[in-house]
Amino acid sequence: MSLLLSELQRDALQELMNISMGQAANALARLIDAKITLSIPKIVVVGATEFQQMFLTDQYWFTRQSFLGSVKGEVLTLLARAGTETIGGLMDYALPLDDRSKEELLLELANILAGACLSGFSMQLALHAKLSMPTMFNAQLRQTESFRWSSTLLLEVEFQLEGTAFDSRIVICLEQQSIDVLIDKLNMLLED
Amino acid sequence: MAIPVTIADDSLLSRKTVRKALPPEWDIELTEACNGKEALAAVAAGKADVLFLDLTMPELDGFGVLRELHDHHAKTVVIVISADIQPEARKLVESLGAFRFLHKPLQPDQLRQTLADLGLL
Repeated sequence: MSLLLSELQRDALQELMNISMGQAANALARLIDAKITLSIPKIVVVGATEFQQMFLTDQYWFTRQSFLGSVKGEVLTLLARAGTETIGGLMDYALPLDDRSKEELLLELANILAGACLSGFSMQLALHAKLSMPTMFNAQLRQTESFRWSSTLLLEVEFQLEGTAFDSRIVICLEQQSIDVLIDKLNMLLED
Repeated sequence: MAIPVTIADDSLLSRKTVRKALPPEWDIELTEACNGKEALAAVAAGKADVLFLDLTMPELDGFGVLRELHDHHAKTVVIVISADIQPEARKLVESLGAFRFLHKPLQPDQLRQTLADLGLL
């Protein structure tokens, strides 16, 4: 796999992720009138086993959504279980959350964060990616087997809602063919 | 006389984006800094009458740079160029004396307009 990114490519990719993440945080921050702390984006190549290990936690809820276009892949959104009620309150949901409203909340959050992340990212690279609606994803039901890649490029950003236990991680998984497209676009950006 | 200008950003791509967006007719002497400490060193060395400042940087971040400049009543004109565009970040930056808060991805037109507004062009 042509997954070795040069320092320059990695720098560019990280900066593009930073900007997309800033847009996503701003979308949420304006909605709930709070401050969100952003992490430094993580860019890693993982194999199937490492990928599956991501789901060995009971700290997060997971949603997944796929995207299609000039780049293809999947976006996973991890939402901290600990802060669900807090963010539900900030988003004007009736508390305590019942199962249905909790699911609605999680899907809404995934849509806001992942949507802004992906659109910011693809816009900067002049790529087209259409994101499907998120669905809840239950790792315990061995659904992870439904992920079709053996190894992938993960782009991960983390949002922490200041003063609360709520945090969310957005993981963009790209298919091999899309990684090549991405690298071409990064090179174009780095030229001239 | 050329105006000393510094671009402070840890990302090479970002520094390049700012560099390319600078109006070609603007007579400047350009310095680049990769973190907050280098930015402050550039200010101390008289290389930053105008400072384009990123917020998230290693060593010392943009807020730290602003605090330091604010505490020392530095005359540097700071234009923050940030990926963190939340209202809170803008408020903090403005309270620390930055002249402008521009969003990434940087739009060259907006940079030119900002420089014109500040009487720098």
